Amino acid sequence: MKKLVLTSLLIGLLTGFVHAANDAAENRLKSSVNEVVYIVKQAKSRDALIADIKPPLEKILNFGVMTRRSIGPAWKQLTPAQQQEATKLFTVMILRTYTAKFTPGEFPQVDFKTSSSTAPGRVEVPTTAMYKGSCYDAVYRMEDQNGNWTITDVVIEGVSLVADYRSQFDSEFKRGGTEGLLSAMRRSAAENK
Amino acid sequence: MKNTKLQFLVGLFVLLGIGAIAYLTLKVGTGSLIQGETCQIESRFANAGGLHPGSSVLMSGVTVGRVEAVRMEPSDFSAIVTMKITSVLHLPTDTMASIKTSGLIGDKYVSLSPGADETILKPGERITLTESAVDLESLIGKMAFGSVDKGTNSKEKNIPTNP
Repeated sequence: MKKLVLTSLLIGLLTGFVHAANDAAENRLKSSVNEVVYIVKQAKSRDALIADIKPPLEKILNFGVMTRRSIGPAWKQLTPAQQQEATKLFTVMILRTYTAKFTPGEFPQVDFKTSSSTAPGRVEVPTTAMYKGSCYDAVYRMEDQNGNWTITDVVIEGVSLVADYRSQFDSEFKRGGTEGLLSAMRRSAAENK
Repeated sequence: MKNTKLQFLVGLFVLLGIGAIAYLTLKVGTGSLIQGETCQIESRFANAGGLHPGSSVLMSGVTVGRVEAVRMEPSDFSAIVTMKITSVLHLPTDTMASIKTSGLIGDKYVSLSPGADETILKPGERITLTESAVDLESLIGKMAFGSVDKGTNSKEKNIPTNP
Protein backbone atom coordinates (compact mmCIF):
# COMPACT_ATOMS: atom_id res chain seq x y z
CA MET A 1 0.00 0.00 0.00
CA LYS A 2 2.85 2.31 1.01
CA LYS A 3 4.62 1.50 -2.25
CA LEU A 4 1.49 2.37 -4.22
CA VAL A 5 1.12 5.72 -2.47
CA LEU A 6 4.81 6.52 -2.99
CA THR A 7 4.67 5.54 -6.67
CA SER A 8 1.54 7.64 -7.21
CA LEU A 9 3.22 10.58 -5.45
CA LEU A 10 6.34 10.21 -7.60
CA ILE A 11 4.31 9.99 -10.82
CA GLY A 12 2.26 12.99 -9.70
CA LEU A 13 5.41 15.01 -8.97
CA LEU A 14 7.04 14.05 -12.28
CA THR A 15 3.87 14.92 -14.22
CA GLY A 16 3.80 18.21 -12.35
CA PHE A 17 7.43 18.94 -13.28
CA VAL A 18 6.79 18.08 -16.95
CA HIS A 19 3.72 20.34 -17.06
CA ALA A 20 5.62 23.15 -15.33
CA ALA A 21 8.46 22.82 -17.87
CA ASN A 22 6.02 22.82 -20.79
CA ASP A 23 4.25 25.89 -19.40
CA ALA A 24 7.52 27.77 -18.77
CA ALA A 25 8.77 27.08 -22.32
CA GLU A 26 5.40 27.91 -23.87
CA ASN A 27 5.07 31.18 -21.94
CA ARG A 28 8.59 32.23 -22.85
CA LEU A 29 7.90 31.53 -26.54
CA LYS A 30 4.53 33.29 -26.45
CA SER A 31 5.98 36.49 -24.96
CA SER A 32 8.82 36.52 -27.51
CA VAL A 33 6.47 35.90 -30.45
CA ASN A 34 4.15 38.67 -29.21
CA GLU A 35 7.14 41.01 -28.92
CA VAL A 36 8.28 40.20 -32.49
CA VAL A 37 4.74 40.54 -33.90
CA TYR A 38 4.40 43.94 -32.19
CA ILE A 39 7.73 45.10 -33.68
CA VAL A 40 6.72 43.93 -37.18
CA LYS A 41 3.37 45.68 -36.77
CA GLN A 42 4.99 48.97 -35.74
CA ALA A 43 7.90 48.96 -38.19
CA LYS A 44 7.90 51.73 -40.77
CA SER A 45 10.76 50.45 -42.94
CA ARG A 46 12.76 47.25 -43.44
CA ASP A 47 15.92 48.75 -41.93
CA ALA A 48 14.03 49.82 -38.81
CA LEU A 49 12.49 46.35 -38.62
CA ILE A 50 15.91 44.66 -38.79
CA ALA A 51 17.32 46.95 -36.09
CA ASP A 52 14.34 46.49 -33.73
CA ILE A 53 13.83 42.76 -34.22
CA LYS A 54 17.45 41.81 -33.48
CA PRO A 55 17.48 42.16 -29.62
CA PRO A 56 14.40 39.98 -28.89
CA LEU A 57 15.54 37.33 -31.40
CA GLU A 58 19.03 37.25 -29.90
CA LYS A 59 17.44 36.66 -26.51
CA ILE A 60 15.18 33.75 -27.50
CA LEU A 61 17.24 32.03 -30.21
CA ASN A 62 20.24 30.08 -28.91
CA PHE A 63 22.69 30.89 -31.71
CA GLY A 64 25.60 29.09 -30.01
CA VAL A 65 23.80 25.73 -29.89
CA MET A 66 22.17 26.27 -33.31
CA THR A 67 25.53 26.97 -34.99
CA ARG A 68 27.25 23.99 -33.35
CA ARG A 69 24.45 21.62 -34.31
CA SER A 70 24.12 23.05 -37.84
CA ILE A 71 27.82 22.63 -38.54
CA GLY A 72 27.77 19.10 -37.09
CA PRO A 73 30.92 16.95 -36.95
CA ALA A 74 33.00 19.71 -38.61
CA TRP A 75 32.55 21.86 -35.46
CA LYS A 76 35.22 19.86 -33.62
CA GLN A 77 37.72 20.60 -36.38
CA LEU A 78 37.34 24.38 -35.95
CA THR A 79 39.63 26.35 -33.66
CA PRO A 80 37.92 28.36 -30.86
CA ALA A 81 38.45 31.55 -32.93
CA GLN A 82 36.90 29.90 -36.00
CA GLN A 83 33.99 28.65 -33.88
CA GLN A 84 33.35 32.22 -32.70
CA GLU A 85 33.47 33.54 -36.25
CA ALA A 86 31.14 30.76 -37.45
CA THR A 87 28.63 31.64 -34.70
CA LYS A 88 28.72 35.33 -35.67
CA LEU A 89 28.26 34.52 -39.39
CA PHE A 90 25.43 32.08 -38.67
CA THR A 91 23.68 34.69 -36.50
CA VAL A 92 23.84 37.19 -39.38
CA MET A 93 22.52 34.60 -41.84
CA ILE A 94 19.58 33.61 -39.63
CA LEU A 95 18.62 37.18 -38.69
CA ARG A 96 18.70 38.33 -42.32
CA THR A 97 16.74 35.31 -43.58
CA TYR A 98 14.20 35.71 -40.78
CA THR A 99 13.63 39.43 -41.26
CA ALA A 100 13.48 39.07 -45.07
CA LYS A 101 10.26 37.08 -44.63
CA PHE A 102 8.45 40.00 -43.01
CA THR A 103 6.92 43.04 -44.65
CA PRO A 104 6.80 46.02 -42.25
CA GLY A 105 3.24 46.60 -41.08
CA GLU A 106 1.96 43.14 -42.05
CA PHE A 107 1.95 40.82 -39.08
CA PRO A 108 1.42 37.07 -38.76
CA GLN A 109 -1.26 35.49 -36.62
CA VAL A 110 0.28 32.72 -34.53
CA ASP A 111 -1.77 29.99 -32.84
CA PHE A 112 -0.09 27.85 -30.19
CA LYS A 113 -0.95 24.16 -29.85
CA THR A 114 -0.32 21.82 -26.92
CA SER A 115 3.39 21.50 -26.22
CA SER A 116 5.08 18.19 -25.43
CA SER A 117 8.21 17.26 -23.54
CA THR A 118 10.55 15.07 -25.63
CA ALA A 119 13.24 14.59 -22.96
CA PRO A 120 14.12 16.20 -19.61
CA GLY A 121 14.80 19.89 -20.33
CA ARG A 122 13.50 19.68 -23.91
CA VAL A 123 10.09 20.85 -25.05
CA GLU A 124 8.49 21.07 -28.49
CA VAL A 125 5.87 23.78 -29.06
CA PRO A 126 3.84 23.28 -32.24
CA THR A 127 2.31 26.43 -33.76
CA THR A 128 0.38 27.49 -36.81
CA ALA A 129 1.27 30.82 -38.38
CA MET A 130 -1.03 32.60 -40.80
CA TYR A 131 0.77 35.14 -42.92
CA LYS A 132 -0.05 36.77 -46.25
CA GLY A 133 -2.84 34.31 -46.97
CA SER A 134 -0.80 31.19 -46.29
CA CYS A 135 -0.84 28.87 -43.33
CA TYR A 136 2.43 27.38 -42.08
CA ASP A 137 3.04 24.71 -39.45
CA ALA A 138 6.05 25.53 -37.32
CA VAL A 139 7.41 23.53 -34.38
CA TYR A 140 9.76 25.33 -31.99
CA ARG A 141 12.27 23.05 -30.26
CA MET A 142 13.18 24.62 -26.94
CA GLU A 143 15.79 23.67 -24.37
CA ASP A 144 16.31 24.67 -20.78
CA GLN A 145 19.72 26.32 -20.44
CA ASN A 146 20.22 26.96 -16.72
CA GLY A 147 16.61 27.95 -16.16
CA ASN A 148 16.36 29.97 -19.36
CA TRP A 149 14.25 28.44 -22.14
CA THR A 150 15.69 29.13 -25.58
CA ILE A 151 14.90 27.98 -29.12
CA THR A 152 17.46 25.54 -30.51
CA ASP A 153 15.68 24.51 -33.72
CA VAL A 154 12.65 25.46 -35.79
CA VAL A 155 10.84 22.87 -37.92
CA ILE A 156 8.77 24.52 -40.65
CA GLU A 157 6.41 22.27 -42.63
CA GLY A 158 8.42 19.25 -41.46
CA VAL A 159 11.80 20.68 -42.50
CA SER A 160 14.23 21.34 -39.68
CA LEU A 161 16.39 24.47 -39.88
CA VAL A 162 19.32 22.69 -38.20
CA ALA A 163 19.05 19.61 -40.46
CA ASP A 164 18.83 21.77 -43.58
CA TYR A 165 21.93 23.82 -42.70
CA ARG A 166 23.78 20.72 -41.45
CA SER A 167 23.51 19.00 -44.85
CA GLN A 168 24.69 22.19 -46.62
CA PHE A 169 27.57 22.89 -44.22
CA ASP A 170 28.62 19.24 -44.25
CA SER A 171 28.98 19.19 -48.04
CA GLU A 172 30.95 22.49 -47.92
CA PHE A 173 33.25 21.02 -45.26
CA LYS A 174 33.79 17.80 -47.24
CA ARG A 175 34.57 19.86 -50.35
CA GLY A 176 36.87 22.52 -48.91
CA GLY A 177 37.67 21.66 -45.28
CA THR A 178 37.29 24.18 -42.44
CA GLU A 179 38.44 27.12 -44.61
CA GLY A 180 36.01 26.12 -47.38
CA LEU A 181 33.17 25.95 -44.84
CA LEU A 182 33.99 29.36 -43.32
CA SER A 183 34.39 31.07 -46.71
CA ALA A 184 31.00 29.62 -47.80
CA MET A 185 29.47 31.03 -44.60
CA ARG A 186 31.17 34.43 -45.16
CA ARG A 187 29.83 34.50 -48.73
CA SER A 188 26.32 33.61 -47.62
CA ALA A 189 26.32 36.21 -44.80
CA ALA A 190 27.57 38.88 -47.23
CA GLU A 191 24.96 37.96 -49.88
CA ASN A 192 22.18 38.30 -47.36
CA LYS A 193 23.09 41.90 -46.60
CA MET B 1 16.34 -46.53 -61.58
CA LYS B 2 18.46 -43.82 -63.20
CA ASN B 3 15.30 -41.75 -63.77
CA THR B 4 14.29 -41.93 -60.08
CA LYS B 5 17.73 -40.71 -58.97
CA LEU B 6 17.56 -37.75 -61.34
CA GLN B 7 14.07 -36.86 -60.10
CA PHE B 8 15.28 -37.04 -56.51
CA LEU B 9 18.22 -34.73 -57.24
CA VAL B 10 16.01 -32.17 -59.02
CA GLY B 11 13.55 -32.26 -56.12
CA LEU B 12 16.37 -31.74 -53.61
CA PHE B 13 17.75 -28.82 -55.64
CA VAL B 14 14.32 -27.14 -55.79
CA LEU B 15 13.85 -27.60 -52.04
CA LEU B 16 17.27 -26.14 -51.32
CA GLY B 17 16.45 -23.16 -53.58
CA ILE B 18 13.14 -22.51 -51.76
CA GLY B 19 14.93 -22.80 -48.41
CA ALA B 20 17.60 -20.28 -49.47
CA ILE B 21 14.96 -17.78 -50.70
CA ALA B 22 12.98 -18.12 -47.44
CA TYR B 23 16.15 -17.64 -45.34
CA LEU B 24 17.24 -14.55 -47.27
CA THR B 25 13.74 -13.01 -47.19
CA LEU B 26 13.55 -13.40 -43.42
CA LYS B 27 17.11 -12.27 -42.72
CA VAL B 28 17.15 -9.28 -45.07
CA GLY B 29 13.66 -8.23 -43.99
CA THR B 30 14.53 -8.01 -40.32
CA GLY B 31 17.98 -6.59 -40.85
CA SER B 32 19.88 -9.51 -39.40
CA LEU B 33 22.43 -9.29 -42.18
CA ILE B 34 24.05 -6.22 -40.62
CA GLN B 35 27.47 -7.40 -39.70
CA GLY B 36 28.94 -7.23 -36.23
CA GLU B 37 27.30 -6.24 -32.97
CA THR B 38 24.23 -4.07 -33.01
CA CYS B 39 22.53 -1.85 -30.45
CA GLN B 40 19.04 -0.45 -30.14
CA ILE B 41 18.16 3.24 -30.24
CA GLU B 42 14.81 4.98 -30.40
CA SER B 43 13.64 8.00 -32.31
CA ARG B 44 10.55 10.12 -31.84
CA PHE B 45 8.71 11.39 -34.94
CA ALA B 46 5.55 13.45 -35.33
CA ASN B 47 4.78 11.42 -38.44
CA ALA B 48 6.43 8.10 -39.33
CA GLY B 49 4.29 7.56 -42.45
CA GLY B 50 5.60 4.83 -44.75
CA LEU B 51 8.22 3.51 -42.35
CA HIS B 52 7.91 -0.17 -41.39
CA PRO B 53 9.96 -2.85 -39.61
CA GLY B 54 12.84 -3.74 -41.92
CA SER B 55 13.21 -0.22 -43.42
CA SER B 56 16.83 0.82 -43.86
CA VAL B 57 18.75 3.19 -41.59
CA LEU B 58 21.38 5.05 -43.59
CA MET B 59 24.24 7.33 -42.67
CA SER B 60 26.14 9.11 -45.46
CA GLY B 61 24.38 6.73 -47.86
CA VAL B 62 25.71 3.61 -46.10
CA THR B 63 23.28 1.15 -44.49
CA VAL B 64 24.10 1.12 -40.79
CA GLY B 65 20.94 -0.47 -39.43
CA ARG B 66 17.30 -1.41 -39.80
CA VAL B 67 14.02 -0.31 -38.28
CA GLU B 68 12.88 -2.90 -35.75
CA ALA B 69 9.51 -1.57 -34.70
CA VAL B 70 7.21 1.43 -35.10
CA ARG B 71 4.79 2.12 -32.25
CA MET B 72 2.57 4.86 -30.95
CA GLU B 73 3.38 6.89 -27.81
CA PRO B 74 -0.03 7.29 -26.19
CA SER B 75 0.94 10.34 -24.08
CA ASP B 76 1.45 12.71 -27.03
CA PHE B 77 0.37 10.59 -30.03
CA SER B 78 3.83 10.66 -31.56
CA ALA B 79 5.46 7.73 -33.37
CA ILE B 80 8.38 5.97 -31.68
CA VAL B 81 10.68 4.15 -34.07
CA THR B 82 13.02 1.50 -32.63
CA MET B 83 16.14 0.95 -34.73
CA LYS B 84 18.91 -1.61 -34.55
CA ILE B 85 22.18 -0.04 -35.62
CA THR B 86 25.73 -1.26 -35.75
CA SER B 87 27.34 -0.58 -32.37
CA VAL B 88 30.71 0.56 -33.77
CA LEU B 89 29.06 3.95 -34.42
CA HIS B 90 29.30 6.31 -31.48
CA LEU B 91 26.50 8.73 -32.26
CA PRO B 92 26.53 12.15 -30.55
CA THR B 93 23.38 13.04 -28.61
CA ASP B 94 22.47 15.77 -31.12
CA THR B 95 22.30 13.28 -34.01
CA MET B 96 19.44 14.13 -36.34
CA ALA B 97 17.14 11.37 -37.63
CA SER B 98 15.14 12.22 -40.76
CA ILE B 99 12.64 10.12 -42.68
CA LYS B 100 13.54 10.33 -46.37
CA THR B 101 12.26 8.73 -49.56
CA SER B 102 14.39 6.99 -52.18
CA GLY B 103 13.38 8.90 -55.29
CA LEU B 104 9.95 10.49 -55.56
CA ILE B 105 7.77 7.49 -54.81
CA GLY B 106 10.35 5.05 -53.45
CA ASP B 107 10.67 3.36 -50.09
CA LYS B 108 11.00 5.36 -46.92
CA TYR B 109 14.18 5.10 -44.87
CA VAL B 110 15.73 6.77 -41.82
CA SER B 111 18.72 8.98 -42.50
CA LEU B 112 21.04 9.69 -39.56
CA SER B 113 23.21 12.78 -39.56
CA PRO B 114 25.71 13.10 -36.69
CA GLY B 115 26.00 16.29 -34.67
CA ALA B 116 28.78 17.87 -32.63
CA ASP B 117 27.87 17.05 -29.01
CA GLU B 118 30.56 15.58 -26.78
CA THR B 119 28.05 13.21 -25.17
CA ILE B 120 27.28 9.93 -26.93
CA LEU B 121 23.90 8.21 -27.32
CA LYS B 122 23.79 5.10 -25.15
CA PRO B 123 21.95 1.91 -26.22
CA GLY B 124 18.22 2.34 -25.65
CA GLU B 125 18.38 6.15 -25.58
CA ARG B 126 16.17 8.31 -27.76
CA ILE B 127 16.99 10.74 -30.58
CA THR B 128 14.80 13.81 -30.09
CA LEU B 129 16.08 15.89 -33.01
CA THR B 130 14.05 14.44 -35.84
CA GLU B 131 12.49 15.35 -39.16
CA SER B 132 9.27 13.55 -39.99
CA ALA B 133 8.24 12.35 -43.42
CA VAL B 134 7.43 15.42 -45.53
CA ASP B 135 3.84 15.24 -46.67
CA LEU B 136 4.34 15.91 -50.39
CA GLU B 137 0.63 15.76 -51.18
CA SER B 138 -0.28 18.52 -48.73
CA LEU B 139 2.63 20.70 -49.91
CA ILE B 140 1.59 20.26 -53.57
CA GLY B 141 -2.00 20.97 -52.53
CA LYS B 142 -0.99 24.24 -50.85
CA MET B 143 0.98 25.30 -53.94
CA ALA B 144 -1.68 24.25 -56.42
CA PHE B 145 -4.81 25.48 -54.69
CA GLY B 146 -3.47 28.17 -52.36
CA SER B 147 -4.77 28.64 -48.87
CA VAL B 148 -8.35 29.10 -47.79
CA ASP B 149 -7.40 31.83 -45.30
CA LYS B 150 -6.93 34.69 -47.77
CA GLY B 151 -10.17 36.32 -46.63
CA THR B 152 -9.06 36.31 -42.99
CA ASN B 153 -5.74 37.88 -43.89
CA SER B 154 -7.26 40.70 -45.92
CA LYS B 155 -9.34 41.55 -42.86
CA GLU B 156 -6.20 41.51 -40.71
CA LYS B 157 -4.57 44.03 -42.98
CA ASN B 158 -7.35 46.47 -42.13
CA ILE B 159 -6.70 46.25 -38.41
CA PRO B 160 -5.22 49.57 -37.28
CA THR B 161 -1.51 49.26 -36.52
CA ASN B 162 -1.75 51.20 -33.27
CA PRO B 163 -1.86 48.93 -30.20
